[in-house]
Amino acid sequence: MLNYHPTIELLTDYTAGSLALSYSLCIATHLEQCKECRAQVKKLEHVGSVLFDEIDPLEASSNNMDDLKQAFFNRLEEQNKMSDTMTALNTVNSHDGYRVPRSLQQFVPEGYDALNWVRISPSFQTAILANEENGTQIALTRVKAGSNIPTHTHTGDEFTLVLEGSFSDQSGVYKRGDFVQLNQQHTHKPVVTRDAECICLTIVDAPIQFTGLLTRLLNPILRKVHPYRG
Amino acid sequence: MNRAIGQQDTTLTDDIMAVAEKRDQAALGRLFDHYVPKIRGFCLAAQPGAMLMADDIAQEVMIRVWNKAGTFNPSAASLNTWIFTIARNARIDYLRKNGRHISNIDPELLWSDIEDENVDLFRDVQQARDKKRIHNGLAQLPTDQKQVLAKVYLEGKTHVEAAEELGLPLGTIKSRVRLALHKLTIYIKR
Repeated sequence: MLNYHPTIELLTDYTAGSLALSYSLCIATHLEQCKECRAQVKKLEHVGSVLFDEIDPLEASSNNMDDLKQAFFNRLEEQNKMSDTMTALNTVNSHDGYRVPRSLQQFVPEGYDALNWVRISPSFQTAILANEENGTQIALTRVKAGSNIPTHTHTGDEFTLVLEGSFSDQSGVYKRGDFVQLNQQHTHKPVVTRDAECICLTIVDAPIQFTGLLTRLLNPILRKVHPYRG
Repeated sequence: MNRAIGQQDTTLTDDIMAVAEKRDQAALGRLFDHYVPKIRGFCLAAQPGAMLMADDIAQEVMIRVWNKAGTFNPSAASLNTWIFTIARNARIDYLRKNGRHISNIDPELLWSDIEDENVDLFRDVQQARDKKRIHNGLAQLPTDQKQVLAKVYLEGKTHVEAAEELGLPLGTIKSRVRLALHKLTIYIKR
């Protein structure tokens, strides 16, 4: 049973397809682990389908429906000549003992170990999955069992999803599948539980900033791996 | 009126099954006639005046309907819901490749249907009840609540964008959506 979920606004925007793809990726990864939110999304999809069904066909009809239909069937015939078209589902491969969520497999095709990890500190590594055009960065963080991440603040919006292991901060304990949303108002000092390393998916607008006296020296490294130059 | 809609849905469901099982192109043609105007309307709501885009996405959706017909499962989703999700994904994909939301992320993997194990009759009954409540509830929503839902679902606006466009505080938009969803018996804890 998970304790931390996306808000209903995020689930609605995700279901409607209006949420940015980077954030949608994080929601989708949560859904793979969360039956409760999947049931919500099913209902929200149904809301969408009723609104969709209410679209007045006359208003949206094209004058040249026959031409469009002809063009469509030509396109279909072209496609059918090329190959067998029934789509097959991808198989889920597991590597290094972890099962990579389906939503992340496009970025993690060969398991977490095969990624290009950048060491930020002896216990804290990060691997960039994608830099989006709007400046959002999709990354994984990997923290050793029992270690803590120095106190830091968030300079933009951040979504975190626990993929493996668990961590805690002053507000709670976050386990596999839990969804955490943070922004500039949050300063925290997460600690990873002692039994296992913790891997998280993070979607960030801007890099985090360490606030400790010494750890501030790490900020330039974080800025370097993040394309944001605010 | 309601019965007419019900009958029409049954016929369309027969058509999609014929596409899946017999690769019946005449049935696909009937689905085209019914859904393409709606798909065009759905696209034009997000990008008013973009006729070429609407035509292109409508064709793409019908191609996907042909290709994926075998995965349609009438006990998991109604045909309308299934087509709505395909249209939504095709619209996202189009916008991702053509400007508005350029992205490296393949949307196909983000809305893939995750089937729950332990499919049971109770779930089907529950789902049918939910659908009926949502259908009836939407018809009775106040205009301001329905307007916001339409902005989010049909025009593809986020809550934040809807607030900007309507010139209302984000809190007002959120509470309208929450009130509406509550009436549709979508229970909100958070």
